[in-house]
Amino acid sequence: MSSLKMASLLGRTSRYMVSIESISSKQISPSIRTTAQQCRSYTQAQRPRSTANIQTMLCAQNNKFSTSAFRARAKTMGQLKQRNSTGPFSWKAALLFVLTGAGMVVYFRVEKARLERKRIAEMSKGVGKPKVGGPFVMKDLDGNEFTAEDLKGKYSFVYFGFTHCPDICPDELDKMAEIIDKVNEATGDPKLFKPVFITCDPARDTPEVLRAYLQEFHPGIAGLTGTYDQVKHVCKQYRVYFSTPRDVKAGEDYLVDHSIYFYLMDPDNDFVECIGRQDTPESATKVIMEHINDWKRNGRPLKTE
Amino acid sequence: MGWLPWSSGDSNKASDGGRIAPDRTSRARCWEGRDLYFACLDRNDILDGIKDEKAARRKCGKEVEEFEAACSATWVKYFKEKRVMEYNRDKTIERIKKEDAEKMKELKAQGWKSS
Repeated sequence: MSSLKMASLLGRTSRYMVSIESISSKQISPSIRTTAQQCRSYTQAQRPRSTANIQTMLCAQNNKFSTSAFRARAKTMGQLKQRNSTGPFSWKAALLFVLTGAGMVVYFRVEKARLERKRIAEMSKGVGKPKVGGPFVMKDLDGNEFTAEDLKGKYSFVYFGFTHCPDICPDELDKMAEIIDKVNEATGDPKLFKPVFITCDPARDTPEVLRAYLQEFHPGIAGLTGTYDQVKHVCKQYRVYFSTPRDVKAGEDYLVDHSIYFYLMDPDNDFVECIGRQDTPESATKVIMEHINDWKRNGRPLKTE
Repeated sequence: MGWLPWSSGDSNKASDGGRIAPDRTSRARCWEGRDLYFACLDRNDILDGIKDEKAARRKCGKEVEEFEAACSATWVKYFKEKRVMEYNRDKTIERIKKEDAEKMKELKAQGWKSS
């Protein structure tokens, strides 16, 4: 559409609005009248400004201060033709349009993803939360008491397993080691993220055994063990299926069935997300970093000692 | 049975009463034995090393011995069972996929368009 046509269209629109207004005092209800007035004032307020924009974009510099009508300033037929061929559109306007559009799309996607994560993270807070995790008492590898309180203040990454596990746990622990390295690299501070391995098999997995076992995967993984009842309790807290036989004869060999998820817990020690077999170290790191960054962006503290 | 040096007798006992688990090297050795054994079963069209134990031992005697020497008895049993389980699982997935494809064909023939 040419700018000429557009100008006349705008004029017609506003005239139409005026005509509506003139009838309205008798026939149209007051609310519609107000709308019509708003429309008119809007159209009139917009018109000079948009024309001015078009002028700035299209006009030659010598017309910079001119206030005369747009159409009057086409000096030659060439100029007029040129203007008619492109109308109010120029590459600058097109670029602005595309950039704004792209910016909005990106912004909305990022915001949508953030809100979705927020919803997931907040699902385990407040009323009706699916409770995963909770208070527990275990022992760390130096024999000191370790409770759920010790997990607070930083993001923790909890995995349940046992050292005599044939194939799944070693695979998952190798993955865990990769995730730890990637997350630490991304945060720049290895103290922000606390990976924890809780054994489901306390009879065989004593601190010494656990220490040697975990050392093979990553020195940063904290191993936790305890009595049979403590382990049973912590498994229940985390909704981990627990099938360790209670009375094992010395030397008897057995396997332990257990859930094979990593649990990402936030600094309040509330459950945030599961990382499963289907996740790669990259996808898991991405999920974890998104949560850590959300937490930081909200200005909430993270323990660093 | 003497499947691993640490597994016979009390040599796998940790000083604090725990039982030392296979380390990375012995795990790798066990998995290698398992893969060789399973490859042999594949060659001889045997699926279940427990149910068809006699046939498996006759055809893959050397492999099964090495497998059992490299892994603990529970692991051997676990891997043999897992092989059957995974086979059945893959078969089921395949069957469902095939059924889905047939259903799609049928629906398309009836003029239904996938969106």
